[in-house]
Amino acid sequence: MIAAALLPSILASLPEIIVITGACILLIAGQLTPKGQGAVLVSAAVAVVLLAALATFTVSGAAQPAYADMFVADPFSVFFKSLFYLAILLTFLLSRNYAEIEGIAGSEYYVLLLLALSGMMIMASATDLLSIYVGLELMVLCTYVLTGFLRREQRSNEAALKYVILGAVSTGIFLYGVSLVYGLTGTTQLDRMAAAVTGDPLDPGLLLAVVFIVTGLVFKIGAVPFHMWVPDVYEGAPTTITAFMSVGPKAAGFAVILRVFLNPLVAGSNVWIILAVIAVVTMTLGSFVALVQENFKRLLAYSSIAHAGFAIFGIVAGGADGIASVMLYLLIYTFMNLGIFGAVIMMRNGNFSGEVIEDYAGFAKLHPGLALLMLLYLFSLAGIPPTAGFFAKFYVLVALIERGFVLLAVIAVLLSAVAAYFYIRIVMVMFMREPERVFEPALTPLVGTALAVTAAGTLGIGLFPAWFLRLAQQSVFGG
Amino acid sequence: MAFPLLSLIVFAPATGAAILMFLRSDDAVRWVALGFTLLDLAFAIAMLAGFDTGTSAMQFVEKRPWVPALGITFALGVDGISALFVFLTALLGLVSVLASWIAIDRKVKQFMVSLLAMQSLMLGVFSALDLFLFYVCWEAMLIPMYLIIGVWGGDGRVYAAFKFFLYTLAGSLLFLIGVIVLYFEGGRTFDILALMMLNLPFDVQSWLFFAFLVAFAVKVPMVPLHTWLPDAHVQAPTAGSIILAGVLLKMGAYGFLRFSLPMLPAASVYYSTLMMALSAFAIVYGGLLALAQDDLKKLVAYSSISHMGFVTLGIFALNPLGLQGSILQMFNHGVTTGALFLFVGLIYERTHTRSIADYGGLMKVAPVYTGFFALFVLSSMALPGTNAFVGELLVLSGGFAANLAFGAVAVFGALLGAAYLLGMYRKVALGPASVGARFKVRDVNGREMAAILPLAVFVFWVGLYPKPFLAIIDSSVTHLLQQVHDKETGP
Repeated sequence: MIAAALLPSILASLPEIIVITGACILLIAGQLTPKGQGAVLVSAAVAVVLLAALATFTVSGAAQPAYADMFVADPFSVFFKSLFYLAILLTFLLSRNYAEIEGIAGSEYYVLLLLALSGMMIMASATDLLSIYVGLELMVLCTYVLTGFLRREQRSNEAALKYVILGAVSTGIFLYGVSLVYGLTGTTQLDRMAAAVTGDPLDPGLLLAVVFIVTGLVFKIGAVPFHMWVPDVYEGAPTTITAFMSVGPKAAGFAVILRVFLNPLVAGSNVWIILAVIAVVTMTLGSFVALVQENFKRLLAYSSIAHAGFAIFGIVAGGADGIASVMLYLLIYTFMNLGIFGAVIMMRNGNFSGEVIEDYAGFAKLHPGLALLMLLYLFSLAGIPPTAGFFAKFYVLVALIERGFVLLAVIAVLLSAVAAYFYIRIVMVMFMREPERVFEPALTPLVGTALAVTAAGTLGIGLFPAWFLRLAQQSVFGG
Repeated sequence: MAFPLLSLIVFAPATGAAILMFLRSDDAVRWVALGFTLLDLAFAIAMLAGFDTGTSAMQFVEKRPWVPALGITFALGVDGISALFVFLTALLGLVSVLASWIAIDRKVKQFMVSLLAMQSLMLGVFSALDLFLFYVCWEAMLIPMYLIIGVWGGDGRVYAAFKFFLYTLAGSLLFLIGVIVLYFEGGRTFDILALMMLNLPFDVQSWLFFAFLVAFAVKVPMVPLHTWLPDAHVQAPTAGSIILAGVLLKMGAYGFLRFSLPMLPAASVYYSTLMMALSAFAIVYGGLLALAQDDLKKLVAYSSISHMGFVTLGIFALNPLGLQGSILQMFNHGVTTGALFLFVGLIYERTHTRSIADYGGLMKVAPVYTGFFALFVLSSMALPGTNAFVGELLVLSGGFAANLAFGAVAVFGALLGAAYLLGMYRKVALGPASVGARFKVRDVNGREMAAILPLAVFVFWVGLYPKPFLAIIDSSVTHLLQQVHDKETGP
């Protein structure tokens, strides 16, 4: 391929190139800046992301295939990339103070986050099983390291090790599925794969391949039965990284799943039955196990499992509305989940961790404004209107019922009633108990900004969903 | 577009709530909250004054696009069925603020914010012409009500708040599914008026009827889904009880009138006997439970279950008398039971006991209090000349016309009402003045009178001259019955 032919491809992948180059420069520059210059690092990392965002919005428009159809810059990927930028910018804002307290504020921290971002971006744009694999590995390798970043803490080390081992196994299974597909169809490009199959889509070999690929991908979004790693990793990882992982990499996983599962080949193999079962079981397990959690981060881990289950219902529904509902769900989940995690991160001050739910007793009496914010996030996570969390669930239900899956919709709402219990239990602890100790949350201006943005998103999308809904509907690929 | 009066009514309390957040002194909070509820009441009176009783069409209609991609609009409007409830909500909002003036002494600002937010949402429920908007308001009410019961309630408040929240949430989620199914059946619209035009197959109607029934029956509440009510009432602060009994319970019955009957006529007719049986059972069962209570608030709470039985009985009698009676009776029940909870709250502030056994001879200590208390007790047992008499008479006539047996049971329930109410009044107010020896009871003051008097006015007004109220209801009821019987085709 000559240079001139390569140029459109380079242009299409400009945002990824910016992020990777920026991360490399930051890695070197970070070694040269003296200690205690955290503010410079954060600003530089933010600048890189903003530059990439600028590039994304400049080149966006019609779908541009690149690198021999292994990669595409289309509205679908732009939507997900915007979501990733939002997630990582909020993570940067939340990290500044927390990372100082935990002593992990080196340049590597920000570089690894940026590299993870580039992996996620590649995943959102990938249209070939191999480029998906490259993005996936880039992302998870960074998150493995970030999970174990609290070097002196046993929980963190243990979590990282678990994550690496289980993650490697699941990647192996995914690759095995890819190799089967290649053997059967002679290609790994998603569209060509579907075109190559002329016979029965329920061919046992293909079915086996699909099941392997499903397994590998479902692991990444933490759905049952491949969810075992989620609570341990979420609890052990630095809270900022947990916050990031619960929205960014999870959304990236969903982006890939949407592309792969709605591919005609996979869609033709009745895989939705598997998905429906996974969705029901995932929501059930997440909701019921969360009921008995005492640790806030663990509770949020199970809550994120339950939410993944609900979002999978959108994939089960399929069609333009189904895809758009998953995308909108992930966007809204990013706002509300980063909001609640931001509140937990803010509690980390001095020797106070704020990881146990009982720590929040009487919080509303000490800090009424912050308690009101947390109330907003919690009711949004529970799906009570007029918050965005309700609209997210509502749209998934609309997509499900449009396809005639009324029974699944009933199961979904009944399980979310169960899930509502543990969110309002936290509200109860905050508002209906007397404070046992006085503490001061670390509300720095950066954390305050992050909380304001997430609160605006959580309430704003709830009250005025029209614009975001249209954005999601217009970003659906192929429609 | 005409003057957006309904938007003003709906958003005035919410605006007040937003302003309250910036105030610091508790007194300022109280006065501003009072100001906004007064303003809201003035708007509501203006609405009633401009209400055209000659038509069954929606009035003061406003319509703005909200989520065009899904056919969701922000549409408001009132007809004869909802107009009285908009007014009732505004009236009880004012009473609630007055009732909480000194009863709420901590976190006053948060309380008033919750109360005003609650009022906006309740008004939204009664004036919504879009099913999505209706559901959003219906469900969002859980948040402020959960806080009102759970933060400012009695000793068992946390349990009561959870029970209230989960019961109502579980009930309304099935309703949500029903709403979305209806959305697709109606060709992707949430427009309530358009959905009333639908003629759905009977089996679809049946399924939807039961999905709606769960949500509405929890709110009413109909036996056997009533168990949250005594807990919530007993634990809630006075204003919470007034709102619960006065407005929230009406929403379930309003749901039947607004959705079940016109949208699912065949199923409504088919299951009307079942519904009347449940109602008649609730009348007697609630009355018997009330007879056995020693706690004043519990007694009034169980009496509510009994009285709401009359309302649902009248609705599913499906004749003009029954429907008119039940709508009027809902208004009456809001006034009378709201007042009874106010009175229980007033005496509790003074004595800190709700046990009937602790009282006696209150009349000698607080004659004005007991005098007005007598008025509302008599109104609650439907003495001729009071408001509830008119409502109950209409309901019973409608009930007898529809089904002799259920009418007879309901009359027995009305007798029970006299028994437990008079019994309670005798033990509390009459007899030797044992209560004065143990508690320092002062009579009602000016602020309390300001809360009591408007309610007392309606007891007499509806009781002696119900015509203006029935005129508001009349044409909408006729229209509703037409909708039911025109499309009624059994299985």
